[in-house]
Amino acid sequence: MTGKKEHRQWTSRSIGSTFQHNIFYMLIRIGGWRLAYLILHFVVPYYILFRPSVRERCSYYLSHRFPEENSFQRLISSYRLSLELGKVLIDRAIVGILGTDKISLSFKDKERLLNLISEGKGVIFLMAHVGGWQATLAALHFLKIHVNMVIHREEGDVERHFFEHQSKQWPYRIIDPDGFLGGTLEMIDVLKKGEALCIMGDRLLGNLKNSISLRFLGEDALFPFSAMKIASASGAPVAILLPYKRGATEFGLDLAKIIRVPAGLGRSGDHFLPYMKEYVQTLEDFTMEYPFQFFNFYDMWKTF
Amino acid sequence: MNINEELKKIIVKDLFLEDITWDQIEDDAPLFGDGLGLDSLDAVELVVIIQKYFNVEIKDMDEGRIAFQSISSLASFIKERQST
Repeated sequence: MTGKKEHRQWTSRSIGSTFQHNIFYMLIRIGGWRLAYLILHFVVPYYILFRPSVRERCSYYLSHRFPEENSFQRLISSYRLSLELGKVLIDRAIVGILGTDKISLSFKDKERLLNLISEGKGVIFLMAHVGGWQATLAALHFLKIHVNMVIHREEGDVERHFFEHQSKQWPYRIIDPDGFLGGTLEMIDVLKKGEALCIMGDRLLGNLKNSISLRFLGEDALFPFSAMKIASASGAPVAILLPYKRGATEFGLDLAKIIRVPAGLGRSGDHFLPYMKEYVQTLEDFTMEYPFQFFNFYDMWKTF
Repeated sequence: MNINEELKKIIVKDLFLEDITWDQIEDDAPLFGDGLGLDSLDAVELVVIIQKYFNVEIKDMDEGRIAFQSISSLASFIKERQST
C-alpha cells in the first residue's frame, strides 16, 4: 500500500516529565535497579488507573495480541505491558549511569554475527522496539565496529539514551531520519565503511510511499521497507536482531534471521514484500513468546 | 552523448521511473521533492548508480547536498571529481 500523506502517528515523547525522569536517575544512583524497580511498582498503577490515554495506547497492541480479553484482563495486561516498559527504561538508564557491566547479555549467535561483519559490506541490524533494545546494544561492544542508530527524536522528548548519561565515548552514533534526504546518504556511507547500521523496522518514518502492508497479529499493518531497500542498494546483509529481557538486568539476544536482498529490485515496495514478510513473521513469533515486551503504543493497524 | 543526457537515461532506467522519459527531465529541475519526484530511498540508489557508472563516490551529506540538487549540479559534480 502506498500513498503520499505524511504518516507518523506515534510519538517518541515520554509521558513523564523531566523532573520525574530525574527522580528515577537519582534512585538508580542511590539504590541501583532494586530501588528504581520498587518505586516503579507504585508509579505504573497510577498511570494505568488514572491516565485513560495510557490504557488506550496499550490497547492498540493488546487488542490484537489478546483479542479475547475482557475489560479486567485488559487492565491487567496494560499494567504488565507498562511495567515491562518501565523496567526497560530503567535498564537503559542503568547502563548509562552505572555502566554496561551492570547488565548481562546472553547471545549464542556471536560467531555468526562476527562472520557477517567480516564480509566487509557493513551490516544492517534490523530491530524493533522490543525487549530493551538499547541496553542490549550497549552490551555489543565485542563487535569492535561502530554502531550507527537511526533514531528520531522529537522536541520535548526528555528521556535520555544510555550514551547520553555520561561524557564517556560510546561506539554509537545517531543518524537523524529527519536530516537531509532522510539521513540515507549517511546510512550508505557507514555501510561502505563496514560499520553496522541499526534500523527499527516496526515504525514508519516519513511517508506511506516507503511502506508496505503486511499481516501482523491478524490484521494488515504498515511497515517501512527502507532497510531492505538500503540492503539491496548497498549489498549489506540484514541481520534481524531481537532482544528480550530474561530477568532484572539480564537480557538475551536472538539473531533470528539473516536476509540477503538482491540488487536492482526497483522502486516498488512489492519487490521487497518477501523479505519484509520474513521480518514481520519473526516479529509476530516474538510477540507470541514475549507478549509483554513489544513496545509500540500507537495504532499501527490504521493503514489509511 | 553529453553527461546530462547520459545521467537522465541512467536515472530513468535504473530507478525504474515509469511516468517520465529521459528527454522530459529538465536540466535544472530539482531531483527530489517537487521536481523529478525522487525520494530519500531513491537517493540511496542514486549514490550507488553514480559510483557504478561514473566511478565517482558521494561520500557524505555535504557532497550530496551539492550534487543532488539537479541534473546539472550532479553532472558538474561528476565532471569535477573525474578531473581530479
